[in-house]
Amino acid sequence: MATKLAVRNLNKHFDELEVLRNIDLEVADGEFVSIVGPSGCGKTTFLRIVDGLESYDSGEVLIDGRAVTKPGPDRAFVFQSDALQPWRTVWNNAAIGLEIQHRLNAPERERLRGLLELVGLKGFEKFYPRQLSGGMRQRVNLARALAVHPEVLLMDEPFAALDAQTREIMQTELLRIWTQARSTVLFITHQIDEAVYLSDRVLVFGRRPGIVQESITIDLERPRPTSVKRTPKFTEYVGHIWGLIEVAVRESVMEETLLAK
Amino acid sequence: MAQATSLPVGATLTHAERRQRAAVRRGLSRAAFTWGSVIAGLAIWQFIGVYVVKNSLFLATPVASIMAVGDLWAKGEMQKNMIVSFEEFAIGFAIAIVAGIFVGLLTASFEPVKLILTPWISGFYASPIIALAPLLILWFGVGIWSKIAVVISLVIFPMIINTEAGIIHTDASLIEAARSFGATRLQIFTKVALPSAAPYILAGLRLGVGRGLIGVVVGELAGARAGLGFLINNASQVFNMPQLFAGVIVLALAGIIMTAFFQRLEIVLVPWKPR
Repeated sequence: MATKLAVRNLNKHFDELEVLRNIDLEVADGEFVSIVGPSGCGKTTFLRIVDGLESYDSGEVLIDGRAVTKPGPDRAFVFQSDALQPWRTVWNNAAIGLEIQHRLNAPERERLRGLLELVGLKGFEKFYPRQLSGGMRQRVNLARALAVHPEVLLMDEPFAALDAQTREIMQTELLRIWTQARSTVLFITHQIDEAVYLSDRVLVFGRRPGIVQESITIDLERPRPTSVKRTPKFTEYVGHIWGLIEVAVRESVMEETLLAK
Repeated sequence: MAQATSLPVGATLTHAERRQRAAVRRGLSRAAFTWGSVIAGLAIWQFIGVYVVKNSLFLATPVASIMAVGDLWAKGEMQKNMIVSFEEFAIGFAIAIVAGIFVGLLTASFEPVKLILTPWISGFYASPIIALAPLLILWFGVGIWSKIAVVISLVIFPMIINTEAGIIHTDASLIEAARSFGATRLQIFTKVALPSAAPYILAGLRLGVGRGLIGVVVGELAGARAGLGFLINNASQVFNMPQLFAGVIVLALAGIIMTAFFQRLEIVLVPWKPR
């Protein structure tokens, strides 16, 4: 398959702190790739660089061979905090990307209607964010990103704030939507089982500085029923990845505890 | 079903109708508190005026004051003065809002402008500008422009401060989200910062009503040929307490009505805000 995103020798510092070192990776068109790693491994910074929200020191970030310098209509970001405008209704929140890009015409409106239905928000178009549950707000967040037809969807721990059950539902929903939208996805998460369940490939980031420690191809047949999470193969993947990051996670937890004191 | 037979009226109502009736009942009971408070206050005032103070030189009763309002109205004097005061208030208030929002947007958007203007804004906001009213009369004459100047000087600073605060408190994650869709600076301003500042700006308007009314009266007290402040001043010089209170009552009513108007405006313009 064709390469969608190519990152070569990417380096990034925040002042003295080295955040990312020699990140080198390729993501194929339509691939679902998750990034896991301990706090402080630079995974969010990496995602922001790919979106063009953050600059980088050296290296290359290419989408379809073109260098990324600023946010563009070919990418969309799904934020951890839903970042919905409280004064806009569900519909107007979902439409804001199209509005900003001056593409909100009749066919796009029709498509957006279908999209809101796809994410399960039909009938809630006129609601304000404060009237919605956390899970529904994240659906709006997702619809807003999908509305601009992104070729690359960048998701930064979108389900982190949800309770465990809503999270499970959202995972299966996301896979269903992704099967239809067929965009390339870069997905950050702290949950290793979430990463394994969703992805074609899991990238494990190491910390201080952030490096790509390992890339694990998840060879599980799609569509994946939730029961796949209880198969030996699945738990083996999860165990392997946990083994890779356990030491680093312990370090980062210790550090945070010390800082808190 | 036993419940339904014991409640024959309620049983025929749909759920929505019952909810609507409950809302109406709640609204009525809230109105009862508001009006009860006003009427009780007036009753206590009347009681003190009639049985405690007795001398109408020291305190006019509400009944006497309201009769004075009617009297002045019949003579056409009340309307004449109200129109003058309202004109001064409206022009001053409008100029102060437009200029205040404009300056607030500038100080919030451009660091140097903020650095240059902030000491002056905080200084004028906190200082008793009212004391300068006689000076403004000297500069602008006894006509309406001196009063407009007083109103502007009282209303503009809270407008500037509120507008600036509203823009500055825009949620950073909302700006980031707009930026991720490639929003320009102007788009971030119009689609994110401005709507997010709207509740602050409306709160500034409500604050401005009271300050503006004070401005009108103070300006007129310092020297005028007409207006409610002029009417109050004349009444106090001849110790006509009912007439003095008549002017005060009309001003208070204006304050209540206008504040209520801006509260309504807030419900219309920021329907998304939890109340």
